[in-house]
Order: sequence, then structure tokens, then C-alpha cells
Amino acid sequence: MSSAISVRRLTKDFHVGLRGVKLRAVDDLSLEVPRGQVYGLLGPNGCGKSTTLKVVLGLVSATSGEVSLLGEPYASPGARRRIGFLPEAPYFHKFLSGRELVRYCARLSGVVPSDLGSAVEKALALASMTTAADRPVGTYSKGMLQRIGFAQAVVHDPELVILDEPTAGVDPIGSAAIGDMIRAMRDKGKTIVLCSHLLGQVEQVCDRVAIMDRGKLVLEGRVEDVLARRDRHVLTVEALTPAARAAAEAALQSHGAVLTSVTHPRRSLEDLFRELVTGSRDA
Amino acid sequence: MNASFRRIDWIARITFLEAVRQRFFAFLLVLGVAMVLSSVSFRVFDFGHGELKFIADFGFGGMFFFGSVLAVVMTAQLFFSEIDNKTALTLLAKPLSRWEFLFGKFAGAWAMLGVFVFVLAGLLGLVLWSRETELLALAEQTGRIPATFSLSGLAWYALLQWLRLGVVIAVVLSISALARTFLFAVVVGSLAVVAGQLQWIAQDAVLKPTDSPLYEAFLWLTTRLLPNLQQFNLGDALVLGSAGVPAGATGEVVLSGLLYVAAYLALGAVVFRRREI
Repeated sequence: MSSAISVRRLTKDFHVGLRGVKLRAVDDLSLEVPRGQVYGLLGPNGCGKSTTLKVVLGLVSATSGEVSLLGEPYASPGARRRIGFLPEAPYFHKFLSGRELVRYCARLSGVVPSDLGSAVEKALALASMTTAADRPVGTYSKGMLQRIGFAQAVVHDPELVILDEPTAGVDPIGSAAIGDMIRAMRDKGKTIVLCSHLLGQVEQVCDRVAIMDRGKLVLEGRVEDVLARRDRHVLTVEALTPAARAAAEAALQSHGAVLTSVTHPRRSLEDLFRELVTGSRDA
Repeated sequence: MNASFRRIDWIARITFLEAVRQRFFAFLLVLGVAMVLSSVSFRVFDFGHGELKFIADFGFGGMFFFGSVLAVVMTAQLFFSEIDNKTALTLLAKPLSRWEFLFGKFAGAWAMLGVFVFVLAGLLGLVLWSRETELLALAEQTGRIPATFSLSGLAWYALLQWLRLGVVIAVVLSISALARTFLFAVVVGSLAVVAGQLQWIAQDAVLKPTDSPLYEAFLWLTTRLLPNLQQFNLGDALVLGSAGVPAGATGEVVLSGLLYVAAYLALGAVVFRRREI
């Protein structure tokens, strides 16, 4: 089976200014996004990740290189029928209600009229937007905009969902809700490409990551492989007394191991925040 | 093809809804309505022309001027709002072709201008009919020949104006597909409308003999590239019967208008296809 996204030696140059100075946004990038996984595309602002996604979606043309989507040429309508896209900081027509927006996007994505009602309701439910679906989009908070954006991206049940900075400007609860939606899509066998610079979230939801810098791919692999330090180990111990620690150190030393540090385990600030703030303002 | 029409229809619907909700549209519609209604009060300043002609000219002027402003500004605004707000990113990532997007924008903007033109034409018809009734009664008393107007002529005139505005929308959309900024599209679109209104001058010049093949080629190109927007102004002849309209002339104007709409939309689609969003 072909990859969800296959990018081979992609280069994208922009010509800026009157003299047409060349700005290389993506430089000889090659990557394969396997199907059925959550794939994180990471990098600082301006590293070329959004441009890469735009090329993949056919919104900008490649200077050189090849891109295929689900085994089809990247800009073909057939390929785009099988993908969903949530752009960074999405903006939608404010006068439409959430339900009307998702219905509109469903029609443009080729959902047949007989399936329209159920597809719209499923997408709204997946994004936890059913109760707010009849409100105008103009009254939505940032988190709700991202969620309705997610609903419009998945309403036609795409095989591949591309999310560009889905949690930018969203509070931790909204961010966690989006993380749950991503996991729900993965559980349904979908491929998700998550473009973000929020490393914590990417680490939590992604199976594989690629890190880009200055248009180039600098690292790619499974999350546990790229993060694990095979030469270090962590032991979590309860009720460690000084005497117990000294005994443990001596035991380890006798086997040639060295205890390098003893610290208290920390939970993440996000976990603490979510534990304390249980209700979402958007709900 | 049916799927294409459905997608164009959806883009057009949303574009139309967005357009008619804009304050700018409401403002110009109110101005146009006020202009038509005020013609009754100003008819004493008819400069020796017939009252009905004076009233009709007010209505024609409102349709022409405010319609042109709406066609240029709103079309550019409706196009650039999608690009600047990045809604185009969401839409064009779907199985929606760029030409479908552009045609949908055209249809939505044209429908909005249809509302504008036919509301003003309906109101103008009402004002003309009301004054005509009074003038007929007066003519009966004084034994003078009464002034009349043609309701079907007014309907034809409104259709021609709507088509003229369709040509303007198509021109502005093709400019917008190339332009980087809203301001550029509005300025160049406005210049194109002015040039289209004056295109007949180039047409007249083509008929005169000239020694310069370059000048001749320039005139030939100008008369083909620029639509003659003046040809749609058959108001006096159609509505007031001031001059006979030759058989088939209206049809020729309609055909020419439709051809320019098709040509400029095709040009816009080709340009927009290469645009990086």
C-alpha cells in the first residue's frame, strides 16, 4: 500500500520584491507519511512546514520535486476528495451557523445529499460542537473555531486529515479536546498530519515526527525512538530514605552502574492545569 | 459536470449571502432608491425635456453609477476577503477547482447586482407609471399628446444593465485573480470601466483611414480587448421610445455581453489557476 503522503526531493522557492530575489522555503525535502498514524511535522516559525503542507495540498506549486497523496498526484481533485484540511488560525464566514458551515463544506467535499444530515451531525459530535452548532460562527471563541474547523475538515470522512497548528491560541482544555479528536480519528484508522511547534502536544499524540529547520529535514522517526536515551534509565521509588539511597548507590556501584541524579518526578504544567480546571468555558 | 455546477452553486450562494449582508451594499441601494424617488421632487428642473425622461434619466443614472461602483468594489472585496482571511485555503483544499471558485464568485456577485438593478428598475417603473397616469389625465383635460413609457422596454433595459454589470464583474474578477492587493484591483477595475465606457471612441477611430499600421493595430486590439460598455445604454430608445431600436440590435448587445463575460471569466480562471494562495 502506498504512503499517505510521499514527498521526494521537494524544493520550493519564492521570488520576493521587484528584483525577484529568491527565497528558498523548502530545500530538497523527502519524507514518507505512513497510513494510519499521527505524524507530527515540527519546526520553528518560517522553517517551511506550512509551505510543505500547501504544496502537498496543491495550493502552491513546487519548484522541483514530486509529491503524491494517497497514491494519487497531489493536486488532483480525486486526491483532495480523500483529505481534510484545517488551516492555521482558520477564519470562516461569520454569518453562517456552525451547522451551516459544516454543511457547506460537506457539499463542497462531495457528500451526497442523502448522507448530508448524518455526516454533518457526526462531524459536529466528534468535535463536541453539537450544542453550539446553531450559533453564528462570529460568536465562537478561538477554541470553538478550531473545533468547528476540525468538524468541517472531517465531515466527508477523509482518509487523511492535515491539521496546521490546530491548537495555536487555544487554552490547555481546548488543546486537550483537539488532542482527543486526533486520537479518535487515529482509532478510526485515519492518517493525521499535525503541523505544530507545541512540542508537548506533539509528543503526546504523534506516532512519528519529522523536524524541519530552514526548509530542510533534520530528523525523522518514531517518537519513542527519537526521544529515548538508551544509555540512561529512570527508576521511580517511593519512601526513599537516605539510608536506602546509600544502599542503592552501593548496590548499583557494585554492578558498575553509576547513579547520576536523584530528583522528584514532576508532572507537566498542562497536566496540573487540566487537573485543577475541569470545566471548559466553551462547553 | 453536475458536481461542478453544484459546487459553483454553493460558492455563489455563500458569496451572495455575504454580499447582501454588507453595509456597503445596503448603503448604495438606499442611495439608488433615494435618487429614483427624489427624481419626482426635482422634475421641475427638467431643462425643457419631458418629465418622464427626466425621471427615467435619474433612475438610469442611479443604476449606472451606483451599480458600477458596487460591481467594482464589491467584486474585489468578495474576492480578496476570501484570500486575505484565508477562507480560500480551506475551500481550495477541497475538491473544488479554481475555475469553479471563480465562477461561483461571479455568480454570487452577479446575483447581488441583479437584486440591486431589479429593485431600482421596479421602483423606477412604479414612479414612471404613477407620473404617467397623472400626465395622461392632464393631457385628456388639455388635449395635448401624452408622454408615455414602455414597461417592457424598462424590463429590457434592466436586463441589459444587469448584463453590463456582469461584464464589469468578470473584468474585475480577472484583474483580482492577478492583483496582489484589493486597492490595485479596485483602481485598475475602475479604470477598465471608464475605458469600457469610452471604447466607442476607439471603435470610431478604427473606421477612419490611418497611415500608421502600429496605431491601427493598437486600435484593433483595444476594440477587441475592451468591452464596449456604452452599447448597453439603450434606455431612452427602449423605455421612452425616443429612437427605434433596429431589429436584432438588442440581441447583438446581449450576445456581445455574454461573450465578454465568458472571455474574461476564462482569462481570470487561467490566471487564478497559477496563483499561489
